[in-house]
Amino acid sequence: MPSWLLRRALVLGAGLAVALTGAANAGEYNLTVDRVTVDTGTFSRSGIGYNGASPGPVLRFKEGEEVTINVTNNLSEPTSIHWHGLILPFDQDGVPGISYDGIAPGDTFTYNFPIVQAGTYWFHSHSGFQEPDGAYGAIVIEPEKREPFRYDREYVVQLTDAHPHSGNRIMRNLKMMPDYYNRQQRTLFDFLKDSREQGFDAALADRAAWGDMRMMPTDVEDLQGFTPLINGRSTEQNWTGLFKPGERVRLRFINSSAMAYFDIRIPGLKMTVVQADGNNVLPVPVDEFRIAVAETYDVIVQPKDNRAYAIFAESMARTASVRGTLATAEGMAAEVPDQRMPPRLTMADMGMAHEGMDHGSMDMGGMSHTMPDGSTMQGMNHGGAGMTGMASGAHKMPDGSTMKGMDHSGHGSMAASDPFYAPGSGLTPTAANGGKFLSYKDLRAQKPLYEHREATREIEMRLTGNMERYIWSINGVKFSDAEPVRLQYGERVRFKFVNETMMTHPMHLHGMWSILDVGKGKWNPIKHVVSVAPGTTVFMETEVDAPGQWAFHCHLSYHADSGMFRKIVVEGGPDGKSAQVPSSKTEG
Amino acid sequence: MLRSKLLSAVFGASLSLALISSGTAFAAGSHGGGHDMKIGKPGDPAKVSRTIEITMYDNYYEPESLDIKEGETVRFVVRNAGEFVHEFNIATAAMHEAHRPEMMMMMEHGVLEPDRINHKAAKAMQASMGHGMHKEANSVLLEPGKSGEIVWTFPKHADLEFACNVPGHYETGMHGPVKLSH
Repeated sequence: MPSWLLRRALVLGAGLAVALTGAANAGEYNLTVDRVTVDTGTFSRSGIGYNGASPGPVLRFKEGEEVTINVTNNLSEPTSIHWHGLILPFDQDGVPGISYDGIAPGDTFTYNFPIVQAGTYWFHSHSGFQEPDGAYGAIVIEPEKREPFRYDREYVVQLTDAHPHSGNRIMRNLKMMPDYYNRQQRTLFDFLKDSREQGFDAALADRAAWGDMRMMPTDVEDLQGFTPLINGRSTEQNWTGLFKPGERVRLRFINSSAMAYFDIRIPGLKMTVVQADGNNVLPVPVDEFRIAVAETYDVIVQPKDNRAYAIFAESMARTASVRGTLATAEGMAAEVPDQRMPPRLTMADMGMAHEGMDHGSMDMGGMSHTMPDGSTMQGMNHGGAGMTGMASGAHKMPDGSTMKGMDHSGHGSMAASDPFYAPGSGLTPTAANGGKFLSYKDLRAQKPLYEHREATREIEMRLTGNMERYIWSINGVKFSDAEPVRLQYGERVRFKFVNETMMTHPMHLHGMWSILDVGKGKWNPIKHVVSVAPGTTVFMETEVDAPGQWAFHCHLSYHADSGMFRKIVVEGGPDGKSAQVPSSKTEG
Repeated sequence: MLRSKLLSAVFGASLSLALISSGTAFAAGSHGGGHDMKIGKPGDPAKVSRTIEITMYDNYYEPESLDIKEGETVRFVVRNAGEFVHEFNIATAAMHEAHRPEMMMMMEHGVLEPDRINHKAAKAMQASMGHGMHKEANSVLLEPGKSGEIVWTFPKHADLEFACNVPGHYETGMHGPVKLSH
């Protein structure tokens, strides 16, 4: 019996056992969906929250538990809750028009599903722009077995990009004028500066190329003017987590932003990444990491001094930041680091380097130093673009010093290379302290969920868009014009994401895991969001083991709404039994 | 059985890097200049006062701390009951810290895989970079399911820890204190 079938059988069995033994391992939870005030210190506006607050409560479940969640809609409009990253029956997934009809004003909907996993997840509304307006909360699931790491205390660190405008207003503005919220536009002055530096013709050609793309080099964030919050608090409001010196603290980072990616660091502390998207990874000590929209990363830190440490999150385009604090007493505030210079997209992000970017065949790790002929490093030919696949700083000692005696000549800008960015990309992150910046290629599943096998077929998904009209699409077709993607139960599908836009898209498949291809075979990490940078091709594989119909979309709220979205239908099921899906109905 | 014993003897040898090309880089490390009385010394099996069993899991030890008498010679029988490669290494916190970059490098070179030690890669690495594997008396590195032994004579005074320096393991809590009583 294949392991995925076996596990599904076990899951079903576990569910049955719970049903038979009654309420021994069942929990009941109540959530109300309410109008709330979102107050960032710099602005205050009406928003949506849970149990009277935004963010909503942290829901704490236990692996193996059968949960019942009563959700009461106190709004004057329909709502929904999607349990982001949870593996559950499709009719509990909370996407109106795909999983169910949603929750009408005044109604209570009761969710009921078994918890079959552990880790850090979150929940949010899947209706309109309620999530950007504040409708999100965290989920923490305690594992059945002891965790492969120790910590003395833990905190959820949930980020958002609170905006003074409501989601509906933002969408209207973007549709009317796609650069409405881009405050970093290049001016005539910049052009003259470029002309001085590059020569007039080059500067002009550069400008013309950007014009053809209907994009601008500053299009790293198409929504600016937001105030980032940590657990609902801005820098001034200073969310604080307490610790005693020497304690190991687990921080559960969740990016619940509508649009903003964040680069996160804690100056003075090394962070050991132990979990990504709820699944344990082999621990990776880093100085900084980037969290895509809707991803989660769990890190362990060990602050040893009796002082305040800043948890600093800068948006990817450096248009905004938020500081929280780890401190030994309330009222302590860590110094706010300076925001770094904004990145500029380059021609590489325009897709100029597309041809060379096949991550599937870029496993440099396996070949870097296992020379069968025993030849030395100096004799190795890393050959041009392939070099980008090599671990960045592979020979850098953690203290930042390079190892003497090793010949790095010709390796060029290795320190800033990351195969998940186009070579020469302006977006490739580097750590503020010159140390280790986490890359997708560092992630390895601590415990592979599936037996590794060849994919049964490949599906290409070109991520496309027309920035001028603010239409985002897949394979050039927006959701409202698209047929569902049909998968067969039991197959293993390899998705090929080709990002033909100049924006970074966090692609999210509901209901089934996204096994990100980092070239490590069975150790490839298991995620629920896969971020695809401009000018790159990224592969992920999915064991199609969940009957029913599911949402698949870019998790940037305004991209999803404007068409970068698909319905996935899984046909068939265990023993030929397919899920009972409601008659087809498509709405965003 | 014989094969597994042989293997465990081989794997029991701590992988460590003699960084010939960057000699001074690890002068403070556990492999810079043998073992002085600061951390103790390899013990005489004939003088062992007791045997302590250490079980290594992912990523923690049982027991989680050790109570040792000053000057005592102890035999540690170490078993890896986890699913990943783990190390049992007796040293000071500073020595462990200095040892970790070496382990990191071995991982990056494919020598240290999550659940096995790749000897082919180790040989290639040695050939290409002059980094070797040699046995360290104060540590044992084990693949899942394998066992190894250390006989160690403890000093009178020292701040010692037992720890696993496989990348990320120490940081996530795989270490414990050695309490020396007088």
